Amino acid sequence: MTALGLDPVVAQSLVDGLGQFLRPSTLFSVLVDGLAKSALFLMIATGLTLIFGLMGVLNFAHGSLTMIGAYLGGLIMVLTVSQGTPNGTRLAVFFVGLFVVFGVLAALGGVIEVGLIRPLYDRPPIYQILLTFGVTLVLDELVRIVTLFYDIQPVADWQAALGTKPTWFTDPVDLGLASVRGLALFEILFGVVTVVAVWAFLNRTRYGLVVRAGSEDSEMTEALGIDVRRVFTVVFALGAGIAGVAGMLLMWDKNWGASVPLAAETLLPAFVVVIVGGLGTFRGTVYAALIVGLADAVTTWWFINVVDLTFLPEVVVFAILVLVLVVKPRGLFGLAEVGGH
Amino acid sequence: MSSERDRRERSGSASAAAPDDPLLAVEDVHTYYGESHILEGVSLAVEEGETVALIGRNGVGKTTTLRSVLQLTPPRRGSIRYRGEELVGLRTHEVASRGVGWIPEERRMFAELTVTENIRIAVPKGGDPEAAIDRAFETFPALDERSDAKAGALSGGQQQMLAIARGLVGDNEFLLVDEPSEGLAPQIVADVADAIAAAAEEATILLVEQNLPLAMDLADRFYLLDNGQVVKEGSTENVSPDDEELRRYLSA
Repeated sequence: MTALGLDPVVAQSLVDGLGQFLRPSTLFSVLVDGLAKSALFLMIATGLTLIFGLMGVLNFAHGSLTMIGAYLGGLIMVLTVSQGTPNGTRLAVFFVGLFVVFGVLAALGGVIEVGLIRPLYDRPPIYQILLTFGVTLVLDELVRIVTLFYDIQPVADWQAALGTKPTWFTDPVDLGLASVRGLALFEILFGVVTVVAVWAFLNRTRYGLVVRAGSEDSEMTEALGIDVRRVFTVVFALGAGIAGVAGMLLMWDKNWGASVPLAAETLLPAFVVVIVGGLGTFRGTVYAALIVGLADAVTTWWFINVVDLTFLPEVVVFAILVLVLVVKPRGLFGLAEVGGH
Repeated sequence: MSSERDRRERSGSASAAAPDDPLLAVEDVHTYYGESHILEGVSLAVEEGETVALIGRNGVGKTTTLRSVLQLTPPRRGSIRYRGEELVGLRTHEVASRGVGWIPEERRMFAELTVTENIRIAVPKGGDPEAAIDRAFETFPALDERSDAKAGALSGGQQQMLAIARGLVGDNEFLLVDEPSEGLAPQIVADVADAIAAAAEEATILLVEQNLPLAMDLADRFYLLDNGQVVKEGSTENVSPDDEELRRYLSA
């Protein structure tokens, strides 16, 4: 007999689950997991939101840039790290690799913007969507060909790259309340650094001021003597570079990993985060990444530990999108309450 | 790159252009929006130091003339010379960086940027933003009080002040001012008129204005536009706002 009319066995398991979930150690580890997910969502969505905010271009090739970043980062690690490489060296190589990946992807982004997207700015958005979607197909296929040529299975995660992590990130870290994945802490740190860096760029530099002004009114910005076309190229390159850096980070995470399908796996949540936050606003993207990441972590815990429906957490991410679009079609940003969540 | 200041000093003495060249010379300009022919051979000239009004009914091409000068809507035919240099073929930011400021219709503030940031963004590379901000606040003390407010939170009159302040930044010597009194209460219009008069001390102005008495008050000369062509021009001195012919062209 239950108030909700549930099967007593199910009701009991839900009550047990709730008890387990509310334990400090569970809450803490779910929180860490959620923040790590938020950090990754933020990393993959930041470039997308900067580009959309300034240029109004929905870059469907964004996920492919992340995927290429993952492979390129993995390649750098695999080529330089061997079984006996110490942890510190692995981490150092990773950071050097980040700069390489950022540079290569930024250059690729710049070429795509100048060569392909620039001629289409005066056309309706559908042209840019079709173009960037086409770029995605081309890039994904190219990577598939290259990986197959080198006998790397393109659909499965690249295990050799996964194995280049320092053991710091594979061993659990005891934080008192609970022990968590070392990589999760690294990812959170990465997310925080990204937020601070992008915020400082937008709010503390002359270029950031130009980007914010251009996002509001690019014609007026141009009429103040600013070469907005060049700013477009720089921001597209920057967005592509950040996408690549995100990919390099994902290459180490067994939940993601370097693979060709990573392009689509990252593009969809990136779109969700960008739309939930409000198209083109960085602050909204940060909040949305937090909401989506934490919701994902909470539901993942419930669906793994209490209700055995392991495919559902992914649905939740899209359920949030649907909910936000119904309640607040312009995204959460602008709602005063967002800051309170 | 020569600084804005240098350019300003140069302009005071003999300029690089031919001595009889006006500051701005628009000659037989044809501008289209898509297939519709908006300017059908507009010609006008603005001399250094003048304030020139561009008047006419809605839709006769006043704003398009300003947009053509800025190359926001580049003309298909004709010539626009600024200090003797051809502007047609340049990009908008290149025109602007030659000292041409735009104070557009509906002001077009960056609503999410603060008042200070709205001025800062207009400071050219290598310029001194703090000096520009100080100068703007000196000219428009009302803005100083709201310096950290978002421009979107300002009243219409304050936004118009900010637009004028922003237009003057970078020691712009030539201002294209579009409908500055539109949508403002009469007592605020007087403030805006004062602000434009103050700006006219520093810069040459081409002013689009529907409010005929205001336009005649501020300007030295006028051009009357109808159907994409200049149909009348002259000094504002001898023109009464009740002028029959003007009334006929201006009434809808």
